[in-house]
Amino acid sequence: MGNKLFWKLIFSALCLSLSSYLLGQSSSAPSSNIANSVGPGYEDILRGFDDPSRWLTFSGDYSGTRHSPLQQITPKNVDQLRPVWTFQTGTTTRGRGFETSPLMDDGILYVTGSNNFAWAIDARTGRSFWQHRRDLPTDLTYGASAPVNRGFGMLGNQLFMVTLDAHLVSFDRRTGDVLWEIQLADYKTGYSATLAPLVLDDKVIIGISGGEYATRGFIDAYDPATGEQIWRFHTIPALGDPGSETWPPDPEVLSRGGGGTWMNGSYDPALNLIYWGVGNPNPDYFGDTRLGDNLYSNSLVALDADTGELKWHYQFTPHDLNDWDSNHMPVLADIEWNGQERKVVMVGNRNGFFYVLDRVSGELLLGKPFTATTWAREIGADGRPIVLNDGSKGCLPDPWGSTNFMPPSFYPGLDLFILTARETCATFVPEEPRYVTGQSSFGGVVFIDGEQGSGALRALDVHTGELRWEFTYPSPTFGGVMTTAAGLVFAGDHEGNFMAFDVESGENLWHYQTGSRIWGAAATTYLLDGRQYVLIPSGTTLTAFALPD
Amino acid sequence: MIAATAFFFLISLAQAQVVNPLASDPRAAQAGGVIFRAQCATCHGADAKGIDSIEAPDLTLIWSRQTTTDASIFKTIKEGIAGSIMPPHQNPDPEIWMTVSYLKSIAISGTNETVVGNVGRGRSLFVENCSSCHRVDGVGGSLGPDLSSITGRRSLASLVNSLREPSSAIGRRFKPVSLTTATNERVQGTIKSEDAFSVQLMDSEQVLRAFNKIELIQFTREIDSLMPVFSEAALTETDVNDILSYLQSRRGRRPSI
Repeated sequence: MGNKLFWKLIFSALCLSLSSYLLGQSSSAPSSNIANSVGPGYEDILRGFDDPSRWLTFSGDYSGTRHSPLQQITPKNVDQLRPVWTFQTGTTTRGRGFETSPLMDDGILYVTGSNNFAWAIDARTGRSFWQHRRDLPTDLTYGASAPVNRGFGMLGNQLFMVTLDAHLVSFDRRTGDVLWEIQLADYKTGYSATLAPLVLDDKVIIGISGGEYATRGFIDAYDPATGEQIWRFHTIPALGDPGSETWPPDPEVLSRGGGGTWMNGSYDPALNLIYWGVGNPNPDYFGDTRLGDNLYSNSLVALDADTGELKWHYQFTPHDLNDWDSNHMPVLADIEWNGQERKVVMVGNRNGFFYVLDRVSGELLLGKPFTATTWAREIGADGRPIVLNDGSKGCLPDPWGSTNFMPPSFYPGLDLFILTARETCATFVPEEPRYVTGQSSFGGVVFIDGEQGSGALRALDVHTGELRWEFTYPSPTFGGVMTTAAGLVFAGDHEGNFMAFDVESGENLWHYQTGSRIWGAAATTYLLDGRQYVLIPSGTTLTAFALPD
Repeated sequence: MIAATAFFFLISLAQAQVVNPLASDPRAAQAGGVIFRAQCATCHGADAKGIDSIEAPDLTLIWSRQTTTDASIFKTIKEGIAGSIMPPHQNPDPEIWMTVSYLKSIAISGTNETVVGNVGRGRSLFVENCSSCHRVDGVGGSLGPDLSSITGRRSLASLVNSLREPSSAIGRRFKPVSLTTATNERVQGTIKSEDAFSVQLMDSEQVLRAFNKIELIQFTREIDSLMPVFSEAALTETDVNDILSYLQSRRGRRPSI
């Protein structure tokens, strides 16, 4: 061993000791051992709620049911639920909300916020380990409609976040340092991104915002290690491709056909299929220049996770003229259907219908209205809605729809699909838009009757679509839903209440005024040190609740 | 010399931004309307009256604020409002000025012509008939809207209509409700806020009160305003003109429409 090598080894050992010391200093969580952790792998995400100390993907598992097995908080003791800590983000999105679903691993929460802030937070105390703030361009377009974000994806020691300037960024979860970033699309033309990436074994799946601009939506898969693109599925086909026959044969119309994919998808590992909702065609309200059904806008698509190949699709609103995006969390469950076990996917849609489809084949099993919309009341034998009112016979659900992207929840056993319903009244006036790069092209305006809106938490029998119970709100609400196996439903409303209900009766058992509307977000829950926590983001705060010690 | 030139150039630029260069062009408002409908109406509503659920304000009323100028509206459109969903806009400056012109054209401008009436008599009539519920310059009741600058926001016709038929249009923060408490107390008031569990109101005695809905025997959204109907028998046309004349005299600032 030469002298140089000897001193190199000594120097390396000193550096290692120093870095271990510093890491030890910064790791203040009582039982966290993050420095040595390899982080959760795909198998951990796959196990989902089997380990209730974790919440590793947007809905807690791949199914999108947002149904936790935790039973410490029950209908009998939920009235004792108290705030344990509140984290203040210091960043606001006035007019929208704090829409994130925090991820939880090893006592640490990984949280994204408005304006592309992000944090790692001690799940016991609400104190932060690090904060990241992305420098956003001053000429940001508005494809996301609001500067919000719905959460991280996670794999090993990497976090993944999409950005308002349409990038995908990977972070080191221990430091918040950026590992790599790639551009998804050009934000200057109206693309943006807000959802929580869906992480599979060797892929990060993302969707894109921007359907109000002359954009063309897609769903992408990226290599988690490098950010290299693996596949892209265009939601608006190219001329000559299957589906393009539902558009005018004009490449320019197709290239600006919209079809954003801005809400999370779900995943069936056994079928290796990804389920993802597709948004409105562009222009939103003016359809004369895009005659036809406009596939795959307003559809649910089932894609092969390895290739991005389309396996099947179902279009909820053919030739949409009302901005009724189908960007909803697809909810997967295996249920008994007419005496047979069926793998189904369920969607509560912005057009006012609740749908159950066979998720293997895409066969429509049920489509029933869950609001008072007069747009349509039934689905025909051909699987298409029988439109009764195109808007000429009175108002329709507003552009935010009969529900929206706020997550619903499925309660197995009772087979209830629980969602937030919005009763609204809008009149649409289409106008041919002009196309200017970087400017939205809604193609008309909407008159909303502000006097007529209301909201409700509704529990639907998934076999019939019938309403089992409801709890009404004074205004149309955007709060999401989570259920727990103890028989509880957690929901938020537009007036700022975070609430718990009995899943069987719909009786309200507890509520807490958070001080700001709960918009787009649904609760998450985890077990830490033997104590069940429930989290809800609201306004500029993330609040953790638990029963008294 | 170069520095001095640059300085004056910057000064002239800053001054140039203060004035709407298209203010005298009648086509500007029309073109601005097209831009508004395409870029602004989704949040502010097709009628620019705002959408409560996303906190998008009523843009027809912005000109009645003391601080509103062409330049301030231009700046808000161009730069957006940080921390809100109001984004910056990349449109060329002339397009933003067109939008400013449009917003000015749809502003609720109130009463421009001077109302002919006896201000002193109007003041007496106001104190006698109105001030128990309405405030002017900080004096009066609070059950109804503050009327200090009402003539800057409402037309004569609509103000007369509010006197003659007060239930025909009731402001959103003055909707009437009635309720009965568990102790059989009957309460009337104007609703200020509510959620699924509680209601906050000002009762007819002008006391702010809050109730848990579950504890109420009855809770009704009333159709009839708490404001009495002032018929011709109660207030003649001359009386009304005198009151309006008084209100107009108290108006802090007439919008520069």
